[in-house]
Amino acid sequence: MRKQLKKFAQFTALSSLLVLSACGGNQAAGDEDGESSGGAVKADIGVISYISGPGAAYGEAITNGLKLAQEEINGKGEVEINLVIEDSAGKQDQALTAAQKLMNSENVTAIIGPTLSTEMNVVGPEADLNGVPIMGTSTTAEGIPQIGDYVFRNSLPEALAIPASIDKAIEKYDAKKVAILYGNDDVFTKSGFDTMKKAAEEKGLEILTIETFQKGQSDYNAQLTKIKGLKPDLILASALYNEGAVIMDQARKMGIDVPFVGGNGFNSPEVINIAGDAANGLIVATPWYGEKEDDKVKEFVSKYEKEYGKKPDQFAAQAYDALYIMAEALKNAGEADRDALRDALAEVKGFNGILGEFSFDEEGDVVMDPTVLVIENGAFKEFN
Amino acid sequence: MLAELINPYYLQVASFILINIILGVSIYITLSTGQLSLANAGFMGIGAYTSALLTLNFDLPIIVGILAGTLLAGVFGILIGIPTLRLQGVYLAIVTLGFGEVIRVIFVNWESMTKGAVGLSGIPHMGRELLNTLKDFGFDPKILGLQNNQFVFLAIFLILLGVTISIITFFRRQNRSRVGRAFAAIKLDEKAAESMGINITYYKVLAFAQGALVAGFAGALFAHVLAYISPADFAYHRAVEILIFAVFGGSEVIWGPVFGALFLTVMPEVLRFISEYRYMIYGLIIIIMMAVRPQGLIDVNILNWVKLKTPKRRQKHGTSSQKSI
Repeated sequence: MRKQLKKFAQFTALSSLLVLSACGGNQAAGDEDGESSGGAVKADIGVISYISGPGAAYGEAITNGLKLAQEEINGKGEVEINLVIEDSAGKQDQALTAAQKLMNSENVTAIIGPTLSTEMNVVGPEADLNGVPIMGTSTTAEGIPQIGDYVFRNSLPEALAIPASIDKAIEKYDAKKVAILYGNDDVFTKSGFDTMKKAAEEKGLEILTIETFQKGQSDYNAQLTKIKGLKPDLILASALYNEGAVIMDQARKMGIDVPFVGGNGFNSPEVINIAGDAANGLIVATPWYGEKEDDKVKEFVSKYEKEYGKKPDQFAAQAYDALYIMAEALKNAGEADRDALRDALAEVKGFNGILGEFSFDEEGDVVMDPTVLVIENGAFKEFN
Repeated sequence: MLAELINPYYLQVASFILINIILGVSIYITLSTGQLSLANAGFMGIGAYTSALLTLNFDLPIIVGILAGTLLAGVFGILIGIPTLRLQGVYLAIVTLGFGEVIRVIFVNWESMTKGAVGLSGIPHMGRELLNTLKDFGFDPKILGLQNNQFVFLAIFLILLGVTISIITFFRRQNRSRVGRAFAAIKLDEKAAESMGINITYYKVLAFAQGALVAGFAGALFAHVLAYISPADFAYHRAVEILIFAVFGGSEVIWGPVFGALFLTVMPEVLRFISEYRYMIYGLIIIIMMAVRPQGLIDVNILNWVKLKTPKRRQKHGTSSQKSI
């Protein structure tokens, strides 16, 4: 017993020693990142991305887009950005530790990422408390920028994308009755569904039925048979592309030929690869359209293809624009100071990037016009 | 070097290590009666959701939420423990895995309460709440020379450290008691244990409930450290992760899962510099471990060897006990 007490006393003595000796050092460290020397504003920007695990493709596209933008921005010489990239593996706890590392060990000026909205729900409040500006490039769920003053995003939220595509579909097909189909065990598809339902109710559409499915399901005949019997004018499907493509395939085989309106997760060229001709008639709203007649877009696409050997997707494009927005704000702030950068970010208005004209609203959320696309003859086309 | 230790990053990692150690202990307890339960992720979810919902909807203090979550998980442990008594080995693993999935599906579908797959955000954060309470009493972390966030994470770390040490101490002592010996006897041979007069039903359910209680406790802590939970956090991935702590570290002695949790949580952080390859290395280490030491890294022999290698401590122990006589 006495030995244990002694051990305990040793432990407390040691840990209190650590506490005391640690106090002095860290306060000085916080001031170092405000330096700007010789014209160019130098800044460390932290990146938290989904680099390993099942969603690694997102992280790859995002980091590629960022690196491309970094190269160009540093080449111009007004702002010098150093990217510190950390992996989150798509897990909240990993994203949080990565954020802590960036904020406290690397002393970054701002953070870009994390990839998933679930991760942002954990990382956002922490960054906000620490006064580190954080910008999501792929977080589309509701309520992300509302976390705090320091939280921004440049990814088109579902709340903007889905109503836009529904609007256009109603206009074109004169739709009145809709059926909704969604994956209820995934954050992304669930929050997409909430937005869809709200939008459909607001536009006075009659919702015939709401059907659910689960991640990884392969047979949708039960849900589709029911939907077929109700004869909707339009099917709203909040699904990720892997399930979504299978749903479309089975629906077309069953003879359902009405158009589908999808959320952001449905917006992938993979849908065409998986479902082939059955993918025709899918309507999605997207911030990014690679075939746009715009010099900036064409330049970005060709540079990206040369560098990485494939066409950029929306995640690469959003990340690319995000770094440009950061650089713009840094330039306006004039120094790599977290608070000055936040204020400069909040004032970004009418930024002209590859996604089109972009502004932050007072909460740090996105103001922009999405492009609505439709799949016709096996290719995405602008939907008018 | 020392100054870096108060960095919230290290404290954050340390907090997750401690929570994982508690989870490791929870699976160790059920394993110590020879029952392989994969329901711990489910119990963890029950603890987390109960505590989060109580603190969110009824403004209860966090400590009340954590206790309620822990107890509810324990009650579920008893409810699941009794009907699964007859099952052994793989069959028990399957049933408990199924239970975990049922819990997760309930969280997904009970939307009015749990917000479904979107998850619960804005859960009161243990450290921040503590800071606010202390501030009401006129305490400012600056008195200690700490910044707010340093204080927050130091507080969480110290609370978790205290809790973890007490849990480990409790179960080490229990192992050396009548209960621990009964657990060991049941693990070695149920029939023989029964014929020696050990009440198998009681001890097996006790172990199951203790495991559930500890897992629920860890879950409640998890909710208040992360401030956001969703059903996906408690899917079977989590159950397997917890199992790996015990498989990797060894399940014969309590230090096995503790070491497993420590090592497997630190590993991805240490390997951060090679970002995209780190989980490959993580997997490789586990495969090598399984090939070389299937019983887990730490077993009784290792512990004895460590004790032999440190003769000083034994001597000290001897002299001190002589003195006390």
